[in-house]
Amino acid sequence: MIGIVALGAANRRSIEAALRRAGAATRFIEKPSEVGTCDALVLPGVANFGYVAQELDRTELRAAVLEAIHFGIPLLGICVGFQLLFEGSEEAPKARGLGVFPGTVRRLRTPRVPHMGWNLVESCSTRFASGWAYFANAFAPDASVPDAVATTCDGDDTFASAAVRGNVIGVQFHPERSGIYGAAVIASFVQSTAVTYAR
Amino acid sequence: MLAKRIIACLDVRDGRVVKGRRFVELRDAGDPVRRALRYRDDGIDEIVILDVSATLESRLANRRTIEAIAATLDVPLTVGGGVRAIDDVARLLDAGADKVAINSAALERPELLGEAAARFGSQCIVISVDARRAGDGYAIATHSASRPLERDPVAWSREAVERGAGEVLLTSIDRDGGREGFDLTLVRAVREAVRVPIVASGGASTPESFAEVLRAGADAALGASIFHDGDATARDVKEACRTSGVPVRP
Repeated sequence: MIGIVALGAANRRSIEAALRRAGAATRFIEKPSEVGTCDALVLPGVANFGYVAQELDRTELRAAVLEAIHFGIPLLGICVGFQLLFEGSEEAPKARGLGVFPGTVRRLRTPRVPHMGWNLVESCSTRFASGWAYFANAFAPDASVPDAVATTCDGDDTFASAAVRGNVIGVQFHPERSGIYGAAVIASFVQSTAVTYAR
Repeated sequence: MLAKRIIACLDVRDGRVVKGRRFVELRDAGDPVRRALRYRDDGIDEIVILDVSATLESRLANRRTIEAIAATLDVPLTVGGGVRAIDDVARLLDAGADKVAINSAALERPELLGEAAARFGSQCIVISVDARRAGDGYAIATHSASRPLERDPVAWSREAVERGAGEVLLTSIDRDGGREGFDLTLVRAVREAVRVPIVASGGASTPESFAEVLRAGADAALGASIFHDGDATARDVKEACRTSGVPVRP
């Protein structure tokens, strides 16, 4: 069972449908007691960083999600769900992220902000594949963050479009809306949860 | 490098795709789910669904249609129609939208844009601007182009972006459904005013017309009749774009 951490603002139906297309059973997680029922977690995208950080505290999900991560549960963060895995963001300087990945999220310097549309995800690690993906972001972690496994470039700006640390993977693009490449990223995550479960 | 987007628009009424000219004389253009998936298979980069009678009937865009498309689609989905309040944005996202377009309500209460951006992020909020020719310039209209206002679409686009909109869906009412080419003058004027992406809409006539408006400064170009009538596919449009040096997704 993959739990989608639903914090009010997300496009949670899109990610639910994509996970189901990959063969996963899913449920929405709205309170801490529900986290323990899941073999894997997804932090979906589409929200303001400050809003989701605040929702994590209001719902008391922050501690439960961190505990699950430390326990070794696979977690996929998407877009702002990816950014939330860092320490903080220029989008909401006072808000705290989960701090799984070191570093902070900065405003983009792309020719257009938001960076909206399809762009190339270029792998810089054997752990991640390259491909065309759909983005909708005004912020992103810098390409120099230690856990980056892929970067994306537009104009003079290069940012981290995927990062991995242990059982946690984050992507700046929207795999649920990124065609065949996105489906492969989601299928790979769903498969990793099956492997964990078998162990 | 970010690719320029080719978008198909499904104007929906009563669960069916419709298309007219200048927002009137609507005719049936098929089932929205089948249309969306066919366009996806043809290589479309994004689908926009506009519930064209929602605001006129004082209701939100039809949830069942959006859910049906969102569940099967694997490219981004923007939805507009009847958004009055921040909870309407949440409802459309919950039905499966990735971005939400706001038009009439933002003109009546511009603060809505800032409130929506604070919760959903500006990348989720599209300001839909319907512009008509007025004298030497342009003016906007709301309620599916049935209510003309004396506001300048360029100034309004700038204000909407300052308030929190992350994209401008810019439609030429005069070119809508007419297949005479996009209004390049209008696109250039708004391009000068905002730094967020612009989706040009209204007038798509040939694959080359898309390339033309993308070269003129639009970040995405939207077509409806041209795709509904089968006169061109997204693949044809992208071929024309590549030929003229406009970067598109393979």
